[in-house]
Amino acid sequence: MRSVNAIIQELDRIVSHPRVMLEKYLGKGKKVVGCFPIYIPEELVHAGGMIPMGIWGGQVSPAIAGKYSPTFTCSIMRSCMEFGLTGKYQGLSCVLLSVLCDTFRGTSQSWRIGVKDIPIIPFIQPQNRESKAAKEYLIAEYRSVRNRLEEITGCKITDHALSKSIEVYNRHNQTMREFAEVANEHLDVVSAKNRHAVMKSSHFMEKAEHTGIVQELIAGLKALPVCEWKGKKVILTGITAEPNELLDIFTANKIAVVGDDLAQESRQFRTDIPDGDNPMERLTDQWFLRKGCSLVFESHRCRGDMLINQLKENNADGIVVCLMKFCDIEEYEYPIIAQQIEDAGYPTLCIEIDQSTQDNEQSRTKIQSFTEMINDRRP
Amino acid sequence: MSEESKRITQRPVPLSRIMVNEQTAKVYEDALETKKRGERIAWSTAIYVQEICETLGVPVLYPENHSAALAAKHYGEDLIQYAEGNMRYPMNICSYARINFAFADKLKDPNYEWPSPAMPLPDLLLLANNSCVQLTKWYQNLSDTLGVPAFFIDMLYNFTEEKASAYKVKYIRTQIEEAITALEAFIGRKFDWDKFSEIQKRSALNNKLFKEIIALNVHKPAPLNGFDLFNYMAPMVICRGKESTTDILLQLKKEVEENIKNNTSTYPVDQEHRVFWEGIACWPCMRHNLKTLRNLGINAVTNGYVTAWDINYEPTNLDGMAAAYNFASTNSKSTPTVARLRSDLIKKFGCKGMICHVNKSCKVMDFHVFGGRDLIQKYTGVPIVNFDGDQGDSRSYSEAQFETRIQGLAEIMKQNKEGNHA
Ligand code: SF4
Ligand code: SF4
Repeated sequence: MRSVNAIIQELDRIVSHPRVMLEKYLGKGKKVVGCFPIYIPEELVHAGGMIPMGIWGGQVSPAIAGKYSPTFTCSIMRSCMEFGLTGKYQGLSCVLLSVLCDTFRGTSQSWRIGVKDIPIIPFIQPQNRESKAAKEYLIAEYRSVRNRLEEITGCKITDHALSKSIEVYNRHNQTMREFAEVANEHLDVVSAKNRHAVMKSSHFMEKAEHTGIVQELIAGLKALPVCEWKGKKVILTGITAEPNELLDIFTANKIAVVGDDLAQESRQFRTDIPDGDNPMERLTDQWFLRKGCSLVFESHRCRGDMLINQLKENNADGIVVCLMKFCDIEEYEYPIIAQQIEDAGYPTLCIEIDQSTQDNEQSRTKIQSFTEMINDRRP
Repeated sequence: MSEESKRITQRPVPLSRIMVNEQTAKVYEDALETKKRGERIAWSTAIYVQEICETLGVPVLYPENHSAALAAKHYGEDLIQYAEGNMRYPMNICSYARINFAFADKLKDPNYEWPSPAMPLPDLLLLANNSCVQLTKWYQNLSDTLGVPAFFIDMLYNFTEEKASAYKVKYIRTQIEEAITALEAFIGRKFDWDKFSEIQKRSALNNKLFKEIIALNVHKPAPLNGFDLFNYMAPMVICRGKESTTDILLQLKKEVEENIKNNTSTYPVDQEHRVFWEGIACWPCMRHNLKTLRNLGINAVTNGYVTAWDINYEPTNLDGMAAAYNFASTNSKSTPTVARLRSDLIKKFGCKGMICHVNKSCKVMDFHVFGGRDLIQKYTGVPIVNFDGDQGDSRSYSEAQFETRIQGLAEIMKQNKEGNHA
């Protein structure tokens, strides 16, 4: 059995070099389909015997994306465009993009116009989930995604295979949730950076393979003595919390991450695909169960309450809002949820996530003063 | 007297403009009166299916229009500061929303001295996200913080050039029907389908008239200063289904035809160049925009923004109505579609250049400007300049940059003109 550290290192390598994974799958004769953030019915891709691979940009100062993406649009989509335009995603059979925000509207067009060699399949989940027509619409929309995928890749997607893929994904979700729980018993080993590596690596691996590794990791962690964490604990919320250098600042300040509501991490794993007879319907039903996400309209927003519950359940000291620079979707939510959390008696810290810079100094200062503040609050 | 002011012909304010101002004032007054009587009023996104509340007789006010009016009068700065400072809204979100959030928050204070136009707090919200997704978030926040329901019609972005498939139209049509039923119950009034179809017809007539007026500016010299069109949009946004709008448009049409007959124009100096303006006006900086253009004899004879309310459907056909609303805004269309539409207008109006407002608030629009540039250049061959601005936040606008860019454009257009004559 490999050591916990060896497993984490492997996952961290994957996160740092997703291209290696892409080459590996291509080398095995697999087709790979790029999946933009955040809610893609990857199960369709998986059922076609292909590998869904996340497209989450990366730390880069865009040199040519500016032709299509204004500087004041979110840094993650600008880096995705930059990578698309500079051939970093070459090898992908196509990409899937769900048009859930204005920048996605724009990126769906920029990609069509600028990245000619990788076809894009845009689609939209319904935001008015209370409408009786929403489900029928989404089944048809997912069906059209399925047809386009088959057309472009030549891979057949059967209902039988889809049902099997759904099980793979549900099992993966459960495993990731279990990891998040077990990790909290071992905060000395599972630092903010390590936790992130485990979570993010899921985007670059076939899910059953990733499930296997994470289960191995869970077993390894369970074999270690439980750690009585002496430092502070926070919950992260936002789109992503990166890069590693930023997460290391938490560790340096003896802060552990004991939960998250990040689009890149737990929002991916917290909603299973429900049971049912028809796999297309099941896949659709998952959309109607999603809760507490800034990209999914709710007439009664529950994100604040969910975060407060997470704080209580994990005995955490505060919420860190990781605000993606120029992400209007999250920027609209921030004042509302921050107020709600503060009204419940918990502190919040807002840091900026910017893929276009390596400079974390501002966040360092903010995290340091936040640490002092929470240290003073509860000795 | 300076050279410049000598050339400008001062004219009395046309009757159509007075009518617009009166109509707008009345809309706000009616809403206030209704509110005082203890009845319900709505706030609505600009391209909601306005025919529904018009039928139900519920006064509707439009925060986008209201924020634009406040911004134009320079009330925006204080409100924006309040939204960013006191309410923690980042400066990146649409300035209309920031102005409105601050305004709504301040309205909770009974001693607040309202800037005009006075817009009372809503009892219900009408939300359609065809123009952008930001509206969804904006209205979700209003609904949360004001504790009022949002009647939501979720529209679907048209990412290709194909017509929306039947299953998409069905989703939107069903939501329109659901909104009618829900509003009927909430307001406590029976929905009169005959009146609905009358209002649909009235809206179609107003739409047709407005299009005809815009088209009259193809004449040379253009009978209207293209920027006037921004001011005549208010009736199309806030009173599209009303008879008073028909009256205004008929009067305006008469005035424009009169100008054509007399070879006159509301553009105050000689029209050296005709250009296409892309994007919303910079309301707080409009005076500077106009002055800069006028000094170079540039008339922005038409623009993409005024066509956003071009909602064409066969009255009584709900599927047609759903499809039309889903395709209504520039921001709901694909970039190649927008580029094609703009290119057609540039050619039709004889524009020799294009000025694009890179509006910090309005991201989808900017993506079109960036992604569509090469296509428009290919289709039309006209020179294109971008400038940075914002429709409601003057901090994103630089007078010097605007002047330099426009001078550069004028220079190229002049050379092109001379080249053509050579
Ligand atoms: S949700 Fe935010 S981070 Fe994601 S694409 Fe939209 S603006 Fe960018
Ligand atoms: S200006 Fe643009 S971003 Fe703002 S509400 Fe209008 S369409 Fe949306």
